[in-house]
Amino acid sequence: MVIFGVLRSGLYSLTSVGLALSVGVIGIVNFAHGEFLMLGAYLGYWLFVSYGVDPLLAIPIGAAVLFALGGVVYRVSIQRVLHAPELNQMLLTFGISIFLQNLAVILWTGDPRTAAVSYKARAIALGPFTVGFPQLVVFGLAMALTLGLYAVLGGSRIGKAMRAVAQSRLGASLLGIEVDRIYLLAFGLSTALAGTAGLMITLQLSTSPFIGLLYTLKAFSIIVIAGLGNINGVIYASLVLGLSEAFVEFYVPQGGGWAEGVFFVLILLVLMVRPRGLFR
Amino acid sequence: MAAVVLLVMIILPVWASRAQPYYLQVALNVLIFAVLALSWDLLARTGQLSLAHAAFYGLGGYTTTLLTTRAGVPIAAGILAGGIVAVVAAIALGMLTLRLRGIYFAIATLAFSETLRVITKQLRFTGGSAGLVAPPLLGGSLPAQYAVILGILLLAVLTSWQVSRSRWRYAFTAIRTNEEVAAVMGVNVVRFKVLAFAISAFFAGVTGAYYAHVFLFINPFEAYSLAVSVGALVAPIFGGLYTTIGPLLGATALRVGEEALRSTVRSGSQILYGLILAVVILYMPRGLLGVWASMVSRRARRAPGASTKGAS
Amino acid sequence: MNLLALHRVTKAFGGLVAVNDLSLEVRPGEIFALIGPNGAGKSTTFNLISGLLPPDHGRMLFDGADLTAAKPHERARAGIGRTFQLMQPFHDMTVIENVMVGELFGHTIPKSLDAARRDGEAICALVGLSQLMERQVTELGVADLKRLEIARALATHPRLLLLDEVMAGLTPTEARQAIATIRQIRGQGVAVLLIDHVMSSVRDLAERVAVLNFGSKIAEGSFEDVARNHDVIEAYLGEEAGDAG
Repeated sequence: MVIFGVLRSGLYSLTSVGLALSVGVIGIVNFAHGEFLMLGAYLGYWLFVSYGVDPLLAIPIGAAVLFALGGVVYRVSIQRVLHAPELNQMLLTFGISIFLQNLAVILWTGDPRTAAVSYKARAIALGPFTVGFPQLVVFGLAMALTLGLYAVLGGSRIGKAMRAVAQSRLGASLLGIEVDRIYLLAFGLSTALAGTAGLMITLQLSTSPFIGLLYTLKAFSIIVIAGLGNINGVIYASLVLGLSEAFVEFYVPQGGGWAEGVFFVLILLVLMVRPRGLFR
Repeated sequence: MAAVVLLVMIILPVWASRAQPYYLQVALNVLIFAVLALSWDLLARTGQLSLAHAAFYGLGGYTTTLLTTRAGVPIAAGILAGGIVAVVAAIALGMLTLRLRGIYFAIATLAFSETLRVITKQLRFTGGSAGLVAPPLLGGSLPAQYAVILGILLLAVLTSWQVSRSRWRYAFTAIRTNEEVAAVMGVNVVRFKVLAFAISAFFAGVTGAYYAHVFLFINPFEAYSLAVSVGALVAPIFGGLYTTIGPLLGATALRVGEEALRSTVRSGSQILYGLILAVVILYMPRGLLGVWASMVSRRARRAPGASTKGAS
Repeated sequence: MNLLALHRVTKAFGGLVAVNDLSLEVRPGEIFALIGPNGAGKSTTFNLISGLLPPDHGRMLFDGADLTAAKPHERARAGIGRTFQLMQPFHDMTVIENVMVGELFGHTIPKSLDAARRDGEAICALVGLSQLMERQVTELGVADLKRLEIARALATHPRLLLLDEVMAGLTPTEARQAIATIRQIRGQGVAVLLIDHVMSSVRDLAERVAVLNFGSKIAEGSFEDVARNHDVIEAYLGEEAGDAG
């Protein structure tokens, strides 16, 4: 059960870290985050079905496409509400989310699509446990990407600029950092990360226009657990959610369905007990 | 303002009674939507932008269906019970989310709605994902059912209007703009916030119950659908928040627009809501009424000496 | 008998003690000033008195009744009013409507809309806002916003008025008007507890002064007594000179 939870938390990390980036650096909670993930998943599906490209191999393409898409969305809409009340920002991204979700329904219908990758059912033995091969690969990749992001944020010039902007917009601009460009990059990066996670999901599960919302909510619960804007805490928070869900699935009768509600309970608990997050 | 509302109220049934059943059906949907919009707006006046409307809608529908099919309760009582159950849930949710503001509040309410959907899907008691069948209201007669929703709408309109005219308006606006200052000036913030939630949920619950007996079928996917919450939210924002006319305008325009769109696109017509919401936030923050008000004041400025009655 | 009595009130945030074992009395109808360097805990004290923050320890008595656990709106109805340093009027309403909120909800016996309006107009007249009553608050300048703050606090007809830095940013003329208004308010039997940094105004207004530093009261007495106090001078030495407005 622990392994299950840990594996799943890898993917959760990747999905949430993009949102944490958007919240921390730009200050916007992107309601449409899950929709970018969904679009990435569809892209992966399409590439697989049309060209036989393995979703994992398509990650660079997917990331680039979603980065560009995020940039466009940012320029066209989000940029305008940076100084508006928080509620307006929330409503805008919510509107974008509904728009994208329904666009997907119109373009691709509401039926779920599955990419039947050849090694989908293969399993590997890890000590006394049997683990799905795709799950393992996804975990490895997701963790690698998440940690890679941390490295970039910590080490590179752009990463440092982002962290500066996250701390203080005014201070960063006084230092000569082009805040607007950083915002654009951060947003694009967050959508790219979401899209990448989407590609990985195509590998494991089926995709439909509606998966976006669920991942947005879970990502939100993770960043709440970590503490808003706390990018580093996302890994630990993902573990919390992943393990909690696994726990419910294994030990609660008919747990599979109930596990879907775990994130909500966690959100409420954290917001009521330690609103600043568990991992500040 | 009141005259406009009454005019709208009179035109709709007259037009509907002359028209084909399809139009009556559309009008009925519009009215359902209008009630939801009005009730959402009422809650929004306290600054609580909820995404849980679907939860109350679904609770209403399931309550009445379970009561009428399993306990032999008459439909009218079932609908009322639907409203009451929604109120109880709203009070609970309201108390839980008292300290949450803005986006936290929205997410918490959304998560509540989604969780309710998951639970309903899981339990066999509520029919699982297949849903339940409900007995028809008033023998399935469309005009009679139309009269019922019109009645509910009138009640909602009156409530919304009365709140705008009474001391409650001061409390709600004060709470919305600054809770702490409102408290220090004597406003019992908790009481008003929960009260707004309860009233709002009552209408949503009654409407959900009504829906069950008109469409004869209820399942977790549709009853707790995000579409309900989204619609309830976009309509008042589009029409003009914190007014009575605004939600009515927004609901009518959006629902009619969606129906028109549905003839082209089989599903996904909700895309209109997302688009309108984004456009409104970006370009018309005060909604249709805001656009109207600025047109009126622009005309007044060009004609010196003319007086304008500002939108309050 | 004291109108307000704080008895050994303490409030800490995490590890930081903002208000430390504070005891304070305000007598009916007096003007009492609370001063101290930045971060001394004055605003926190106001938040504790108005009920926006619960104390960790200590009690608060108002007119003999123990209001330690009372909610903010209950304290308003009991007779405690306050202004806010960062002026935050209800921005979707006009000036008179802002004042009416207090008239409508700040009393134990509910008023009708008409009565609230009439009383609200009287208060606007008192503070000098009669000409601006129907304006949206977004159109007001700083001095008028301050008047509105006071008007709103008065709308609940308090017996104790907490004034939070009302003198900041006022021209000498405006300051004189403000002092006159405050004296008028006191003339109607309202006790005033004020926080301010503008020492000349404090000297003119206050009958008694208490000095806070790092959450504790370090001196109390008349303005002259306190100004000569060694601990007070030391506490302020860390501040920039010249807070006289």
